[in-house]
Amino acid sequence: MSEQSFEELQRELEDVVARLERGDVPVDDAIALFRRGEELYRACVARLEAAELRVEELSRGGNETQ
Amino acid sequence: MKIAPLLYGDRKVYTVSSFNRGVARYLGRLPDVWVEGEVTELRRNQAWANVFCTLKDPRTGATLKVTIARTAYDRLDLSLEEGETVHAHGRAELYEARGELGLRAITIERLGLGGHLLALEQLKRKLAAEGLFAPERKRRLPRVPRAIGVLTGADAAARGDLVSTIGTRFPAARVVVCETRVQGQGAPAAIIAALRGLEAHAEVDVIVVARGGGSFEDLLPFSNEAVVRAVAACAVPVVSAVGHEQDTPLCDLAADVRAATPTAAATLVVPDAGELRAGLDATRKRLEASVRDRLERREQRLSVLSGRLRGSPRLLLERRRAAVDHVGARLQGVSPLATLARGYAIVRASGEALRDASLISPGERIEIELASGSLGARVDEVRP
Repeated sequence: MSEQSFEELQRELEDVVARLERGDVPVDDAIALFRRGEELYRACVARLEAAELRVEELSRGGNETQ
Repeated sequence: MKIAPLLYGDRKVYTVSSFNRGVARYLGRLPDVWVEGEVTELRRNQAWANVFCTLKDPRTGATLKVTIARTAYDRLDLSLEEGETVHAHGRAELYEARGELGLRAITIERLGLGGHLLALEQLKRKLAAEGLFAPERKRRLPRVPRAIGVLTGADAAARGDLVSTIGTRFPAARVVVCETRVQGQGAPAAIIAALRGLEAHAEVDVIVVARGGGSFEDLLPFSNEAVVRAVAACAVPVVSAVGHEQDTPLCDLAADVRAATPTAAATLVVPDAGELRAGLDATRKRLEASVRDRLERREQRLSVLSGRLRGSPRLLLERRRAAVDHVGARLQGVSPLATLARGYAIVRASGEALRDASLISPGERIEIELASGSLGARVDEVRP
């Protein structure tokens, strides 16, 4: 899950919820889907709360390039 | 003066001086022209009769030596700076002592706003015709970029606004800043190099070009053809926040999104973490609700089913009972007892119900059946 972007995680979470809401998933699968949804939710929140703003400087190598 | 070659047998040979002179004369027949270029290596000395400079073609780097009489130059009162674009009017000239080609200028004009605007307009039309600014080329910005590339000058305000707004909206953001020269000579090349550097960064998913306000000339590098093309060709989406609202440098048109200010650019490149969190929480509620609903519905269905299962024998019994009651009621309806109950009586003679008075004679015995009990009687009189 760590390779997925926030957007991918969020989209999958939405998909999971939409499938569950349609109600055509067998109950056993629904429980598994629910667990996956919980996992996705936690991953999204973790991304949001990951860290403080990071600001890096890229080398100024290009300045005088002709 | 005739330029005469030396003769070595059949071979005509010219001295360097006579060759240069010949070429110089030939060049001297060329017409006067205007030449545009950037001023470099400007040298003026009170002791010299001429002012020297080199004009450079900013696109290709080609150079041309230009000389102008010092008195003529001083009269123009240009106080030219290196890097400025000028139009020089004159003709080709060969500096004979060194065989160097140059332009002998009669006059030099600084490329004014009008000239710049015209050039800009032409470039804009050309690039638009190529489809560089077409809406269908615009890419959607990533909703949550892994890292945001920021290309900026040594402009503390623009950079500060951008970075602080990003940090406020989305504290988990990662910003990669590339500070570069954004005005004057060499700025276009520096901007392109910076753009390439950010573009090559593995995590940069979007680039913001941020440059605060400045004079028309200050913003010119952002309308430079090579810069505009680099912005359009950038591998990741570009947000252009250059100058103020009223300025429209061409890179604004080539970028995927134009932002009026660095702050506006920040709100475009990162979502609001609070809103995002609220959205996520709402989605999670839906997730829980969907499963709860699911289970509740299943439970409900089960209880309905089991109710039907358990209720069924009683139901059958009731239905039968109702049917029996119905038949009973119909039976009651046709029973003669019900008629007797209303006060009628049945008269029988010799066991047969008597319907006609003429069939019996006085003195005969009859039976009268009432709703309750019966009477034995003898006929006194017959009235047929």
